[in-house]
Parts: sequence; C-alpha cells; structure tokens
Amino acid sequence: MLDPSFQFAVNPSSGVPIYRQLMDQVRAMIASGQLVAGDLLPSVRQTADELSINMMTVSKAWSRLESEGLLERERGTGMRVAPPLASGTVRERKLDLTPLADPLVTRGQQLGLTDEQILDVVRSVLRGKKR
Amino acid sequence: MNTEEVVRVSGLCKSFEARQVLNEIDLTIPEGSVVGLLGKNGAGKSTLLKCVLGLLKPTSGSIRVFNEEPWHLSSESKSRIGYVGQDINLYPWMKVGNVVDYVGSFYPNWNSGFARKLLSRWDLPVDERVGPLSQGQQQKLALVLALGHEPQLLILDEPVAALDPSARREFLRTLLEIAHDPQRSIVFSTHITSDVERVADRVVFVKDGRIVYDSPLDVMKDGVKRLRISASSNLPDTFAIRDALRCEVRGRHALVAVPDASDSMLRELEARWDAEVLVEDLSLEEIFLELHSTEPLMAAATGEAS
Repeated sequence: MLDPSFQFAVNPSSGVPIYRQLMDQVRAMIASGQLVAGDLLPSVRQTADELSINMMTVSKAWSRLESEGLLERERGTGMRVAPPLASGTVRERKLDLTPLADPLVTRGQQLGLTDEQILDVVRSVLRGKKR
Repeated sequence: MNTEEVVRVSGLCKSFEARQVLNEIDLTIPEGSVVGLLGKNGAGKSTLLKCVLGLLKPTSGSIRVFNEEPWHLSSESKSRIGYVGQDINLYPWMKVGNVVDYVGSFYPNWNSGFARKLLSRWDLPVDERVGPLSQGQQQKLALVLALGHEPQLLILDEPVAALDPSARREFLRTLLEIAHDPQRSIVFSTHITSDVERVADRVVFVKDGRIVYDSPLDVMKDGVKRLRISASSNLPDTFAIRDALRCEVRGRHALVAVPDASDSMLRELEARWDAEVLVEDLSLEEIFLELHSTEPLMAAATGEAS
C-alpha cells in the first residue's frame, strides 16, 4: 500500500519553514511522477516521528496541499494524492507553467540552441509522455 | 482567564536591587503549545521562567499559572509542573535508581514505568551513584525527574546545554512525544536555535528584559526576510524601511531585514528606487542575529514587532 522507501528530508535550519519544505517535496514528487493519483501519503504521526519534527508542522503541510487540491483526505485512511485536475482557464494554467518554462529557455540559450532546437526538445519530451 | 491558557503573564517587571531584569513582559502559553524562548545570555529568560514557577517574586505585574498565583501555588498545581533549571543539584550520595524512586514518592501521579523507560533510553546507569556522573548525565537524570509525573506544563531552562548531539536528539524525540499530547505545554529556553526549529511551534525572543518578538515559528520564517536591494543610482542616506530589523546602505546597494516581507512591498521598492530586489530566506539563527545586530534600529522596531 505504502512505498516504504517513501521518505522526506527536511532541514529545520533552513530559512524555509518545515511545512513548506514538505509541501515542496510532495509537489515535486507529484510533478516527477514519483507519486501518482491514489497514492497514500504516510500519516502525520509517522512522518513527524521519522523526521523528529512537530506533528502540527506535518499536519499543516498536508492540509495546505489538500486545500490546493493536490491531496484528498480519505476518512480513516489518511491523505491520498488527488487525481490531476484542470482547474482555471487555459490562460491561468499557462501562466502557471510559465515560471517553469523560463529556466528551460534560459538554459537552452546558454547551451547555444536556437529557438527551434529548444522547441524540438520540448516536443520530444511531450512525445515521450504520450499515452 | 481562558481555561485553555496554562500561563498568563501580564506587565511583569522584575528588578534585583536597582537592576531591572524584566520589563513589562506579556506572555501567554495556551494548552498544547511548545514555546521556544530565545535570547542572549543575560537577556532575562531564566528570571522570567523562575517568576512563572514562583521561585522568584515579581516586582510588579501579574502571573497566573493554572489560574493561580505562582507565589502561592497549590501543591495540586505544583504536581502538574515539571522543571529543570540550569543549576542541577541532585543527591550525589544516592544511586540513580534510588533518586528516581525517592523523587517519585513525592508525586501521587508518578509514572515509574515511564521513568524507567527514560532511564534506559538515555543510558543512565541505575546502580551507580549520582555524584560521579558527568554533567550531561546529571542533566539527563534531572530531565527524567522532571518528566516522571507526566507534567502538563514542562518548563526547561537550557535543557540541552550539556548534552552531546545524540543525547540531544534522543531528548528532542521525547519532547516531541510529549508535545504530541494536545493537553501538555512546554516552554524551553535555549540558544541552540536548531532545536527550537524542530520542536517549537512558537518562538519568543527576549532581549534586554523585554519580549521583542513573539510569533508562530512558521509565520516568522515566512515573514522575516533579508532583502538585497540594488538600485539604479545611489540611495539617499535617509533610505529606510518601516519596522526594519536592520538596514545598511552602501552606495546604490542596501541590505535590509524586514519582519514582514510582502509582494506589494517588494513591487513598491522596485518601482520607487528602480531597483532589483533579491529576497533571502532566513534561518532562526540568522533571524536571531538580525534581531541582535544594530541596537538603535532595533529599539525603533521593537515597539511595533512585539
């Protein structure tokens, strides 16, 4: 049910609050496909114990992700990864993607690629994701 | 007083002779919270804790603990408090196990099973005498004695000062287990900021006898930021940001720590000075240092922040 290798790492001494670090890691795991819809997250208690952090911190992270629609609370079981939802207008969703596209384009330019070559890369990644 | 408040301090002042150590302290500890008390040596943390415990009499102001005055605390309320101070004076001639049994006998609610568990978890030799134990081991023993009756209010003054890193981690784990009970509250003073970051949900900074910052840890980390401002031309000497904890201007660059950075504030700075603003997250240790950097600026900011 639960991948035992599933683990978070937090740095309490970072300037980023621990709950945000957890949120970022769950988001990253979802974005990278490490976590897919329906996956169960470890419980608040378990996560807090493993990381030696306050339970309220974990609870806050999970709840925020729930209100963002990335997680779903399932009574008696815990938090599951929610199915991806296309909310907002196309414009809004494009806007959401832009900050991720910016570093891609910058890096491409640093590597001396033309616009068309950068787009080729994006297209080939897209082809790889085709289901 | 709200029943969910375990401690309420208002307008507390404490002077020793002519020296004022605490100045108009207001502090509330709700049930279930874990408060990290931070400040430099001599800031007044221990005096504050001792006043809350009824070990020192306030010069003025009021303190309520379990809705009683600490100076006249009932024994019932005392049995709900656990405390470890900085000077640990145990019974050097007794064996570790005997000290635990002896102290436990004073408490009707002593959990000897839990105390024994802590002894073994913290590698304390039950059959050895207390006297020759190292400072760190004595500190661990004092913690066992403060935890054995499962107090509702745990007050710890520099609890980890003498502990090695692995003992500190063990101790923090125990503290977290306690904190996971929503009815129990913990107040601990320390200058090891990373411990606070793991365990505390709220941070209180004490400086020169005053509380200069009191906020949930997450809110503090979300809000307190260091801005590196690079303007297109030299910034005026009068350059300032309201409530700034620190503000250094050099030519067209400025380094400013603000208690509450917001997007609108950044946009405004960028527009007003035609500047590029870099925002840096700060760890608790860095925030600590920012709060203690330039004295005159701090004095101006404290009134707003506290």
